Amino acid sequence: MTNLSVLEPVEVPEPTATPRARRSRDRRSRRHGGPVSRVVSHVFLIVIALFAISPLLWAISSAFKPDQEIMTSLSLIPRHPTLEHFRVVIQETKFPLWFRNSLMVSLGTTSLSIIVGSLGGYAMSRWNFRGRSLFGNSLLLVQTFPAVMLAIPLYLLLTRYHLIDTLWALLVTYLTFALAFSVWMLKGYFDGIPREIEEAALIDGADRLRALWYVIIPMAWPGVVTVAVFSFLLSWNEFFFAYVFIASNKNFTLSLGMYGFIQQFTTQWGNIMAAGVLTTLPVLVFFFLLQRVLTRGLVAGATKG
Amino acid sequence: MTDIADRVQTRPPTARRRRDLLPYWLIAPSLVFLAAIIGYPLVVGLQEGFKYHNRLQPWLTRFNGLENYVKAFGDHEVWVALKVSFVMVGGIVVFSYLLGLLAGVLLDRKFAFRGVYRALILVPWVVPPVVSYISWQWMLNDQSGFIDHVLLQLGIIDKPILWLARPTLAMWSLIIVGVWSRFPFMMITVLAALSNVPEELADAASIDGANRWQVFRHITFPLILPVTIVALLLQAIWTFNDFALPFVLTGGGPANKTTPLVLLSYREAFQRFNIGYGTSLAVISMVLMLILGVLYFRLQRKQGVYA
Repeated sequence: MTNLSVLEPVEVPEPTATPRARRSRDRRSRRHGGPVSRVVSHVFLIVIALFAISPLLWAISSAFKPDQEIMTSLSLIPRHPTLEHFRVVIQETKFPLWFRNSLMVSLGTTSLSIIVGSLGGYAMSRWNFRGRSLFGNSLLLVQTFPAVMLAIPLYLLLTRYHLIDTLWALLVTYLTFALAFSVWMLKGYFDGIPREIEEAALIDGADRLRALWYVIIPMAWPGVVTVAVFSFLLSWNEFFFAYVFIASNKNFTLSLGMYGFIQQFTTQWGNIMAAGVLTTLPVLVFFFLLQRVLTRGLVAGATKG
Repeated sequence: MTDIADRVQTRPPTARRRRDLLPYWLIAPSLVFLAAIIGYPLVVGLQEGFKYHNRLQPWLTRFNGLENYVKAFGDHEVWVALKVSFVMVGGIVVFSYLLGLLAGVLLDRKFAFRGVYRALILVPWVVPPVVSYISWQWMLNDQSGFIDHVLLQLGIIDKPILWLARPTLAMWSLIIVGVWSRFPFMMITVLAALSNVPEELADAASIDGANRWQVFRHITFPLILPVTIVALLLQAIWTFNDFALPFVLTGGGPANKTTPLVLLSYREAFQRFNIGYGTSLAVISMVLMLILGVLYFRLQRKQGVYA
């Protein structure tokens, strides 16, 4: 922070430039300063980016190293790359089953949170019904509850209805926590779509739900993508509820499986890291494919009502 | 005549009434899940907090009024855990705010590789926490960890640093890893806030001879402060409630020196089977976070921000 003051050279305003003439792109770059400040910016960003990716980089590198190299070499690039750790993880553990469990829970949560969330978001966006702000506010407050507080009674409740130790327990829990985000996010997007558009559809004889499904949702697709990615990440990455609710190995999600691996493999880091890489891969691919839409969606949604 | 008048008068209200019910049908599915997964457990949890309830002796379950809370008040473990919680939250929130601010401000301008940096910095936000905490745990390991190895080879230290085995260092490790996992969110919020700052203001100031730091200090920062404070509060709440970070990275050790209140509450309820007492600790966490929550909420409404 204080560094900035030292690093940025005092900028001499160019007298010839009229501020109006320099629009969006120019204006940002003008305040960018000279080559020194640019180099310093890059150095800072490289350090921050390295910090951000270091654990993943290290995990990927170790996953491809043979066991004795892991203990002796610090090189990022394996000297004798091997797929042995991946083979062990896929063939000798329940990893593929856990992968399937995680995928089912995450896809279920994602699709339901889009459906339930767009219904709720649509109601919030188009009607000023009684209890509207209560509904919206309770969704926001949900985010502040400690999971531990809910986990204990939920555990007792789910046990009573024989849902404990099933993937259903995770699905309904993740869905509820994803709803706060999806209702508000989609409401923000729906607000930006003029009422006239759906009114035209309504006059053409469509009912409200049809108008929502065929007209509004396709127009709000960046919001839908953002909600999808968020819900998927939430359920794919969640650990605490899974750890409390799931006991049997065959119902593990990947997070639980990973945690179990530290006990099972203790210091066989190669195997653990190979499993880690496989666990991360789907969300990482998903994320980088949608990165542009997503950052735009988050930035837009974060500043909307 | 009266017939038509009736019809004219009654028609719109019925139509409106029918329409009025639709939003309730639309929020009904959300309400069902909220009631089942949040509402009901909340009510049960509040009751449990006033009970003696041990899973090993279920027949002894009874209401015991405020006994759990009185016990918590005199429990040394609880005070240690509270201190751990506050140090952890304070450290993680402050440093992730500063790092997120720095990254956000640096990335707010157009230049080469901007998209690449932004994508790489968002990685911690995407990687499953259990995977990254395990990877960090290994990197910080004093037997075979990457960090100690490098420091040893560079000759900076002559014997391994026990990152996770010494109480103070374990707390710092927790904070560093916490900052790592939380600063990308701060960066996104800062970027979003910066995109709403009218350029004309900063432009005018820099034409008047203010340097970049002065522009940031006196114009940009005050403008983005309210939005980022909302995000900071939310981060504080999430960090306080975070279970996986201390549980996976340090396991709460050494000697409970990294066991925050939520982890202690979990231990009481699920490992020592004191459901009643464990829940009362969770209720204390909830009340503490509710105070922050109300604050977050007020600011959120005022800013119209959902972050």
